[in-house]
Amino acid sequence: MSIFEYNGSALVAMVGKNCFAIASDRRLGVQLQTIATDFQKIYKIHDKLFIGLAGLATDAQTLHQRLVFRHKLYQLREERDMKPETFASLVSAILYEKRFGPYFCQPVIAGLGDDDKPFICTMDSIGAKELAKDFVVAGTASESLYGACEAMFKPDMEHEELFETISQALLASVDRDCLSGWGGHVYVVTPTEVIERTLKGRMD
Amino acid sequence: MDAAVDFSSPVSTGTTIIGVTYNGGVVLGADSRTSTGMYVANRASDKITQLTDNVYICRSGSAADTQIISDYVRYYLDQHTIQLGQPATVKVAANLVRLIAYNNKNMLQAGMIVGGWDKYEGGKIYGVPLGGTLIEQPFSIGGSGSTYLYGFFDKEWKEGMTQQEAEELVVKAVSLAIARDGASGGVVRTVTINSEGATRNFYPGDSLPLWHEELEPQNSLLDILASAPQPMDA
Amino acid sequence: MDGPPKGGFSFDLCRRNEMLVKKGLKGPSFLKTGTTIVGLVFKDGVILGADTRATEGPIVADKNCEKIHYIAPNIYCCGAGTAADTEAVTDMVSSQLTLHRYHTRRESRVVTALTLLKSHLFSYQGYVSAALVLGGVDVTGPHLHTIYPHGSTDTLPFATMGSGSLAAMAVFESKYREGLTEEEGVKLVAEAIRSGIFNDLGSGSNVDICVLTKSGKKYLRNYEMPNPRTYVSEKGYSFTKKTEVLMTKITPLREKVEVIEGGDAMEE
Repeated sequence: MSIFEYNGSALVAMVGKNCFAIASDRRLGVQLQTIATDFQKIYKIHDKLFIGLAGLATDAQTLHQRLVFRHKLYQLREERDMKPETFASLVSAILYEKRFGPYFCQPVIAGLGDDDKPFICTMDSIGAKELAKDFVVAGTASESLYGACEAMFKPDMEHEELFETISQALLASVDRDCLSGWGGHVYVVTPTEVIERTLKGRMD
Repeated sequence: MDAAVDFSSPVSTGTTIIGVTYNGGVVLGADSRTSTGMYVANRASDKITQLTDNVYICRSGSAADTQIISDYVRYYLDQHTIQLGQPATVKVAANLVRLIAYNNKNMLQAGMIVGGWDKYEGGKIYGVPLGGTLIEQPFSIGGSGSTYLYGFFDKEWKEGMTQQEAEELVVKAVSLAIARDGASGGVVRTVTINSEGATRNFYPGDSLPLWHEELEPQNSLLDILASAPQPMDA
Repeated sequence: MDGPPKGGFSFDLCRRNEMLVKKGLKGPSFLKTGTTIVGLVFKDGVILGADTRATEGPIVADKNCEKIHYIAPNIYCCGAGTAADTEAVTDMVSSQLTLHRYHTRRESRVVTALTLLKSHLFSYQGYVSAALVLGGVDVTGPHLHTIYPHGSTDTLPFATMGSGSLAAMAVFESKYREGLTEEEGVKLVAEAIRSGIFNDLGSGSNVDICVLTKSGKKYLRNYEMPNPRTYVSEKGYSFTKKTEVLMTKITPLREKVEVIEGGDAMEE
């Protein structure tokens, strides 16, 4: 078994019209045994910047703590929030530093940049950035998420439709993955508000 | 990934390299094939690298290792030449190669032949094989193709050859090795060094002598097809 | 412990990860660019080409990634191998060259980039797996080099790299000649990349091209798109509101007011 399959996860982010959505499942497992069903995999960096961390949960939490720390240092020095592009480069650098002993994490970064331009991006565990215009996925359910998103995604969706699309893609995908599921967390971020929803899903 | 192009396997110069002294100088020779596993990564490579105006080195083994060694030696010799105010001797160059090859023998896979001319000792050939030994030799052969050439050289090399005889011997030897060794191929390159300086020569694959059961060089299949009637023509 | 950037690799998770692998857990697979990258020298300069597929095992992770990396205004570099390595190594060299340009007030040379790349790769003994095709035009003319992960380099009139290199080399070996015009060169590079896209499974999607001449560069992103999307109607799916929501929390930005509705519907 791969180390990435130890805890199980499903992560997806999508771009809409002047908005973005990022969603994850809620399961934390140890191989096939479910430990928690309300586990947070998406972390807020600031109001308009979120990062989801798939992979080994212990590394995800450690990495998140380092990222929050580095972002706070940036805020103190620069007196502003980080742009999503800058943050992605930071995450990439932190991951590549451990090129020969990586964090077993695959991040998904989503944020609103200046003039509310949505930005999404994912990486492998050693920080190879993959910028996409439409959607990005990560985690044990990534294969089914690729398929679901490839079929369901449309460009320039408004935030209500974006929420429905990302939720349906997530729930459809985790139903075909043993290691993720138990509903989902969805964040839809528009220029004026953050809509956070908890989804009901299968509990097996 | 395909085994034929496994880029994680080191690029090696599965090679034929030769250095021969003659009456008044030296001739260095090499084939031009560089391979990664079964794939010919470069069919026209230059394995005879310049170290100074009057000293050259033939490289065999890992391409990365031998390139870095010759880069270092060239750098040291440039400084040495400036400090000395006159060209470095072949012995000094060969000793530097040996020093690096010996000190890092656990890290390196490099068999080299250093050859050149200086005013003190005339034409000299030094072999620096795998462990980092330094051997002054009247002639030296190296690389995977050299196994086919030991007997040939024992018979054919003569004390006090002319430049032309030496060059012909080298080209003949490399072409023999190319014919038998799969890891050697392409063209034959030679460098002749004597009191006059260094001269490069190049012998294309289709100008080389044919050995036992070798076929005449063929035009590219595409050229043959171009002159033949096209099957799709009406 | 952590904080101001120090530079260099950190090896402190290696022992733990080795332990995990020993316990039977498989190590991670990285994003690779199972690639076709090529370059050739033509009459007035150098042309580089690449496909745009990035893979992670058998999965196509990115259908339109950029494999022609910026090194300097007059030098570009195609990368194959582990994506993070090609990206990191080219970024590093490009930043070193920028500083070197400020220092010397001269245009960067291709050999400088070549030496920086090969010495980095050599010092990591092939563990930084980047296979590169480096091309550029400087005061000494046009240059094209290939660089292997172990740090060996070649200087060639035409070069290919990556898993599709055999397919692309077949095209070059049969059609390359000296003194190609720009138009002919671009056509040949595109054909070589297409040959990789269609004959090598690791390569796919579109053709990227970069033309470097004495008078400047032309970066032709998605020069050809031979694999357009043919499935799924343009309208896509539409959903009526039917996702079962347990809880919604709306946080207006700028104002510090939180609206929580239906929080008690939460299930344990």
